[in-house]
Amino acid sequence: MKKTLIALAAALLASTAAYAQDPGVTDTEIKIGDVNIMTGPASFIGKAVSVGSKIAAAEINEAGGVNGRKITVITEDDGYVPARSFQALTKLIEVDGIFALNGTSGTANVLAMMPLIEENNLPTVVTTAPNELVYKPVRPSVFTVGASYADAFYGQLKYIHENMKVENPVYGLIRQDDDFGAAIEHGFDRAIKEFGVKEGPRVRFKKGTTNFAAEIAQMKQAGVNVLANGGIIAGAANILGEARKLSMDLQVAGVWSEDMPPSVNLAAPAGYDYLVADYVALNGPAIDAFMEKAKKYASADEVGAINRYTYLTYVGLHALAEGMKRCGKELTRACTIEQLRGLKDFDTQGVSAPISFDNERQLSGTALKIYQLNSKDKTFKTLQDFTQY
Amino acid sequence: MDFFLLLVATGLVSGAAYGLIAMGFALIFKSTGVVNFAQGELVMLTAYISFSLYTTFDLSFFPLMLVTIPISMLIGLVLERLFIRPMLGEPIFAIVMVTVGLAVILRGVTIMIWGPDPFNFTAGIPTEVVYIGSVPFYPAQLYLIGALAVMTFAGWAFLRFSRMGIAMRAVAANETAALLVGISVSRIHAVAWMLSAAIASVAGVLFAANFKLAPDLWFQGLKSFPAVILGGLDSVIGSAVAGLIIGMIENLFQGYVGQGLREISGFIVIVIVLMVRPYGLFGSKDIERV
Repeated sequence: MKKTLIALAAALLASTAAYAQDPGVTDTEIKIGDVNIMTGPASFIGKAVSVGSKIAAAEINEAGGVNGRKITVITEDDGYVPARSFQALTKLIEVDGIFALNGTSGTANVLAMMPLIEENNLPTVVTTAPNELVYKPVRPSVFTVGASYADAFYGQLKYIHENMKVENPVYGLIRQDDDFGAAIEHGFDRAIKEFGVKEGPRVRFKKGTTNFAAEIAQMKQAGVNVLANGGIIAGAANILGEARKLSMDLQVAGVWSEDMPPSVNLAAPAGYDYLVADYVALNGPAIDAFMEKAKKYASADEVGAINRYTYLTYVGLHALAEGMKRCGKELTRACTIEQLRGLKDFDTQGVSAPISFDNERQLSGTALKIYQLNSKDKTFKTLQDFTQY
Repeated sequence: MDFFLLLVATGLVSGAAYGLIAMGFALIFKSTGVVNFAQGELVMLTAYISFSLYTTFDLSFFPLMLVTIPISMLIGLVLERLFIRPMLGEPIFAIVMVTVGLAVILRGVTIMIWGPDPFNFTAGIPTEVVYIGSVPFYPAQLYLIGALAVMTFAGWAFLRFSRMGIAMRAVAANETAALLVGISVSRIHAVAWMLSAAIASVAGVLFAANFKLAPDLWFQGLKSFPAVILGGLDSVIGSAVAGLIIGMIENLFQGYVGQGLREISGFIVIVIVLMVRPYGLFGSKDIERV
C-alpha cells in the first residue's frame, strides 16, 4: 500500500512538472541562449556564429515568429575556455532563463556544459563542434549537425584518387597530436586501405606549431605528392608555404576551416589549389540568397565577419525553431525535444544538406561537399555535391 | 646530405627567431634583475604596429624598420615608466607579477585594436625563393638570420664599448656600487626596456614575415624562454647563440626522429646543460632564478 502511494505521488509530481511552463517562454517571446567565443584569438569564429543566429532570428521574427512568439538570442562569451562555458550557461539558465541553446562553442566547451544541458533537459543544437564525443553517447536533448573530420578527409582523398590522376601517388599526412588530428588520421587510414596507394610519412605536431620546415622536408624526401594537411589557419598556410619553397608538386586535402576567408588569405600565396570538404554550402544560389538576407538583417561589420560558422548556426536556429513551431502554443522543452527527434529532411534552402534528426545519434548534416580553391582569385568551385561517405 | 642541410638551414631560421626574442629577455634581466614575462607580448604588439605602418605607408623593409624601431623604443619607455618604475624597491616577485599582468593587458589591447584574424605580412620583403647552394630559402628567412647576426654584434659592441653599455654591466654586477659611482640606475632600467623593445620589434616583424601575423604570436615568447635559460639569463649574446642551438636541435630531432618530438628535444638539451652548468652556457654563476 505504502509503495503504491509513493508511486502515485511520484507520477503526480512528474505529470505536474511536465505540464508546468518551462523557463524562457512567454506569450510573446522565446529566449534562446548562445555560448560563444566572443573574445580572444578564436573570436572570429564566435562572431561569425553570433551573426548566423542573429540573421535566423530576424528572419523568423519577421515572418511572424514561432507561433506568434518572437525569438530573442542572448549571447554569452566563454573566450573558448571550457570552465567559462559552464559559467556562461549557468548564467543563461539561472539569470536569463533561456528555453533552449543554439551556440555551443568548441568541443571541450560543449562537453563542459553537458551536465547543465542534461540536468535542465535543455533543447540544444550543436553545429560548430560535430565531434563524436558530443553525440556518443547520445544525450536526449542534444542534436548535432555536422560531418566528421574522418569523412571529410576520406572524401577529399577519394576525389583526388578517382579524379585527379596523380602519377605514382604517395600519400602523406601531417596532423595535430590530439583528438582532432586522430580523427583526420582515421579518414587517411580508410583511404590508404581502400585505394591501396603507397603511404608516405605520417607526421604529428603540437597545436600552435609555426615552423613546419622539418616536417615538409620529410614529406619531400619520401616523394609525397598527395598531402592530407591537418594544419589549421596559419599552421596550414605555413605548411603550404614550406611545400612551395621546396617546389613540391602536390594535391592537397585540407580541414574545413581552410575555406574561411582569413585562412584563404593566408594560404593562397603558396599557390596550391587545395581541396576542402564541408557540410555547408560555400557558394551558389543558396549562399547568394543568404547574403541578401545578411545585408538586410546584419550590419556591414557583421556581414564582413560571415564565414561557414555563420551558415551553420543559421541552419541550427532554423531547425530548432521548426521543432518549437511543431509544438504549437503549448511550448515545452520536452515537446521541442520530441519534435526535433522527429525532424526529417528539413529544408535549409540549400545552405546545408536537409536536416534529419530521426536517427539513433540525433545527428544530421553528415553529407559533405567537396570544393577546390582557386588560389589566384581566392574563390572556391564545387567539385562534388553533398555526398555521404 | 641535402636533407641534413635543409634541416640545419631551417633550424637556423627558427633558431634566429628564438635568439632574437631571447636577447630581449636577457637584456632586461641583465639590467634590472627582472624576468619580463611580457616580452612575447611586446614582440606581438610591435609586429602589429609595424603591420599598420606597412599597410598605411606601403614601406619596404628597411624604411619600415626605421620607423618601427623608434616607435617600439618609445613603447618600451612608456611601459617601463608606467608599470615598472613605480615598482622600484619592491620585491622582485612583485615586479615579475606586474609583467605577467602587463602581458595579459597587451594581449587584450592587441586583439581589441587589430582583431582576431591572422594576416599575411611580408614586411616589404620579396617572396621569391632564393638558393644558397642547393638549399632554398625565402628572403625573409635570410633576413631573420641576418638580423640575429647584426643584433648580436651590435649587442656585444654596445655592452663592450659604449658608456651606456658599460654602465648597464655595472648595474648588473652591483646596483648599489653603480649608484655610488653616479650611475643613474633608473635611467639604465629605462634604456634596457627601450633596447629590449627595439629587439622585440625586429624579432616580431621578421617572425610575422616568416610565419604569419596572428594574435598568438605572444606565445613565441614562452617558446623562446628555453633559449634564455640555456644561454644564461643574464647573457644577451649567450641567449642569441642558444636560440640557434635550440632551433637546430629541434629541427634535426623532428627530421630524424619525428612524431612531434620537436618540442621535447630542446628541453632535453636544457635539462642536460643545466645539470652541468646551472647558470646556462654563458651566464654568470651568481644569477638569481625566478
